[in-house]
Amino acid sequence: MTTGYAHPEVLVSTEWVETHRQDPRVRIVESDEDVLLYHQGHIPGAVMIDWQRDLQHQVVRDYIDPRAFEELCASKGISNDTTVVFYGDKNNWWACYAFWTFKLFGHADCRVMNGGRKRWEAESRPMVREPEPQYPRGTYRAAAPDLSIRAFRDEVLAHARAGLPLIDVRSPGEYTGELLHMPDYPQEGALRGGHIPGAINVPWSKAVQEDGTFKSRAELEQLYFEQAGLPRQGQPVIAYCRIGERSSLTWFVLTYLLGLPRVKNYDGSWTEWGNLVGVPVAKGPEPGKAT
Amino acid sequence: MTGSAALGDRLEQLCQEFAGLDVRDRLELLLEYAESLPPLPERFAALRQDESHRVPECQTPVYLFTELEDGRLRLHAEVAPEAPTVKGFVAVLRELVTGALPAEVATLDVDLLRRLGLVEALGMVRMRGLHAVFQRIRNEARRLAA
Repeated sequence: MTTGYAHPEVLVSTEWVETHRQDPRVRIVESDEDVLLYHQGHIPGAVMIDWQRDLQHQVVRDYIDPRAFEELCASKGISNDTTVVFYGDKNNWWACYAFWTFKLFGHADCRVMNGGRKRWEAESRPMVREPEPQYPRGTYRAAAPDLSIRAFRDEVLAHARAGLPLIDVRSPGEYTGELLHMPDYPQEGALRGGHIPGAINVPWSKAVQEDGTFKSRAELEQLYFEQAGLPRQGQPVIAYCRIGERSSLTWFVLTYLLGLPRVKNYDGSWTEWGNLVGVPVAKGPEPGKAT
Repeated sequence: MTGSAALGDRLEQLCQEFAGLDVRDRLELLLEYAESLPPLPERFAALRQDESHRVPECQTPVYLFTELEDGRLRLHAEVAPEAPTVKGFVAVLRELVTGALPAEVATLDVDLLRRLGLVEALGMVRMRGLHAVFQRIRNEARRLAA
């Protein structure tokens, strides 16, 4: 790749995936918003990991625990030394979410297939409509969750009050607070609209191009450093959206493509913050200031 | 048979058909429904420009059109191919409500998604768009029944 990313090894091309899809050291994982897409057709040899049914705890609002993660990996034929390549729909937003979750449990070698399903299909590469392949069980030991990439609400509040950089990756309507009262479904959003004071709004989708691949390093620097004013280094950054899914793509971009050393994803995101009692909220297009 | 019994029977049948399968087969069945959704009739195509036919809660484009034929409901739809789950659910609803009286559709069981076993198969967070589709059809039926 000639795009000059900080950690170019985490991105692989569709061509790389096609030549490595039978490599026993590599496991291709599809993660989608629409769970039927995998059933409709997937990269031959790819397994499916569903963000909601596989990665999230089914009772508590949280991720699965390390033991459940070990079992998930083993059942998909993934061991600690497997190279895991994620791809999916929606410009890889769920692929990045799965990537982030794997990093949370300390998986060493995670990659994202640049362009996702969209590019693979556009290039007419092979897809099969078959049941998920079964691989010999992997051997897996998960690490304790790596909280250097995950932010919780109290920390977010302290971060906002300290005036440290926050990035809100939702749509402008969600950021300003005008998009809250969805007709018929107010109970499925948050009770308050707006953003965390001080957060700057850079919708996640601005990091990707029309064909689903990521923008070049120069374009990303322009977007996040020049336009949005994120510091190039030093300060920790927290990204959030509605449930932490879109912000995991931004986390990926800031961490691996731009090389920021301390970026966290706040997975509680607006569905937590907008329902919390007493936390500061800013409305309108200005970032505002937390008090 | 009255319209009401027919709709009730169809609902019961669909719920058994879906909820009786394990999660994997339920998803396969939903995919079959998605693939069976007929294309939008030509006469509705131009109306897509009118955004009021779009379901805004769905992230991918979903257009729904309802009409009456001899007092009975007809449902036509177009759903983006990258959203087979929504497409499948729309096809299930189409099967369910076609030929029913709008007044009956307006009062359909709000718990439909759970009864079909889709909450279990797809997860709670994915229900929002599907609920919105269902709600839209019930609202349309209410409007047509008035």
